[in-house]
Amino acid sequence: MKNKRAIITIVLVATAAIVAVIVAEHVSTLPGRRPANPFAYDVDAFRSVDPEMVRWQEVRQVGLDTDNPKAITYADGKIYLAADNELQVIGSDWVRLFRRAFPAEPASLAVDGEGWIVAGMTNHLIMLDNKGDKVAESELLPEETSITSVAILDDNVYAADAAGRRILVFNRDLERTGVFRGESGVSEFHGFIVPGGHFSLAVNPEQELWITNPGIHSLQNYTASGRLRSYIQRTSFGIDGFSGCCNPVHFTFLPDGRFVTSEKGIIRIKVMRESGETESVVAPPEAFAGGTRAPAVAADDDGNVLVLDFDRNMIRIFEPI
Amino acid sequence: MERKKTKSRREFIISSMRFGMVLSLGGVGGLAFRNSTKEQWVWQIDPFKCSWCGRCATHCVLNPSAVKCVHAYELCGYCDLCGGYLIPGHSARSTAAENQLCPTAAIERKFIEEPYYEYKINEDLCIGCAKCAEGCSAFGNGSLHLQVMHHLCVNCNECAIARACPSDAISRVKASGPYLMKGDFTSDGGET
Repeated sequence: MKNKRAIITIVLVATAAIVAVIVAEHVSTLPGRRPANPFAYDVDAFRSVDPEMVRWQEVRQVGLDTDNPKAITYADGKIYLAADNELQVIGSDWVRLFRRAFPAEPASLAVDGEGWIVAGMTNHLIMLDNKGDKVAESELLPEETSITSVAILDDNVYAADAAGRRILVFNRDLERTGVFRGESGVSEFHGFIVPGGHFSLAVNPEQELWITNPGIHSLQNYTASGRLRSYIQRTSFGIDGFSGCCNPVHFTFLPDGRFVTSEKGIIRIKVMRESGETESVVAPPEAFAGGTRAPAVAADDDGNVLVLDFDRNMIRIFEPI
Repeated sequence: MERKKTKSRREFIISSMRFGMVLSLGGVGGLAFRNSTKEQWVWQIDPFKCSWCGRCATHCVLNPSAVKCVHAYELCGYCDLCGGYLIPGHSARSTAAENQLCPTAAIERKFIEEPYYEYKINEDLCIGCAKCAEGCSAFGNGSLHLQVMHHLCVNCNECAIARACPSDAISRVKASGPYLMKGDFTSDGGET
């Protein structure tokens, strides 16, 4: 009788101890058992893209033998790459045709229809002919200048100065001939708003100059003299527009004139019609998992998109499905 | 010839005690001097490691937390269209509470010139939840981030937030450089 009572007592104590351990484990905040973040902000929801919209597939990745790629462009069957302190020109079969050293690190590149090349350093420009020989060099601009993008249109070279929130205009001898700041006189357009070091421009197949106005998520079309002609503007946290600071960071044009835009923050590349609607996605955010920088983009004659992935140090080629 | 004087046992013990006391006094003085002059250490958050988990708001021994959001003014573009603090689908681009990600509407802005605004955090309202810091990093340039405010922090021996931090972002830093503001240092710890 005495033994039976002792056994019951032991069993009860053991049961209570087990229950106490289970409860303590349940309410503990040890790793793996921590309560959910009561202030969670589900940013991942903005990273998901409708698979139906992804109408491009990655077909090739080409690793680069450089440490610091900066810019990419495509013209006349060749890929032009600015990296470290040099220009590399790569043929269609991925054979390097030539490389040219620059006195400083180029931040941007543009090539015209005849293969003449303009490289934008932080505060000056260099023009090379189609053999890679230097034919012109601009004066050194003030130190506070930060050229982030260049384009060639007719007899002019345009350079986007992110620090000065302005477009500098040069002639083919790289003598400065003008400047404009995107001010239109209309209250909605108070000039270029450049929150960070991302300010891009490009010429479309119709020979029109397009410039980003990243502070208001706009792509704007200007005449050669710097007069605003048209614009598209899309602010949205979704795939249908741009959000946050400095987007779109880079853009280029497909042969049919559609925009290819590259965004930072939630890194993604998408195609927009000339009217401004998002048509499809080239590379969704998951293609850049772990990445931190918006890739530079170029498009070849077949409409393939060449993506310069700074985080992976490679060129990635996406072709339409 | 004078005989060499030998110490008695009593004298030996007394001189040994004197020597020991002088040695102890010197040691204590040395330690006190070292403690008074050595570098003090305080807790701080590395903003490049922070994963905005919300535990700075919930695990600090103080309520509200000694962790607050700060704004790295050097990084900010000051533009009207700040995605860092606005909720998706906001009704207006303003710091009205209904438009803010911040649960306590601690983000305020001051008009500079069209269309530029300077954003600042009302420290009395901020609870250190990092919601705005996450939004700013996802959509902006990451200029909003968290820091331990040393006029509030009680500098516990073992920081309760550091123990709960899933990304090991909180560590002791020298009290002579108590803040790790973006723009003043880089992700590899170097000075900019």
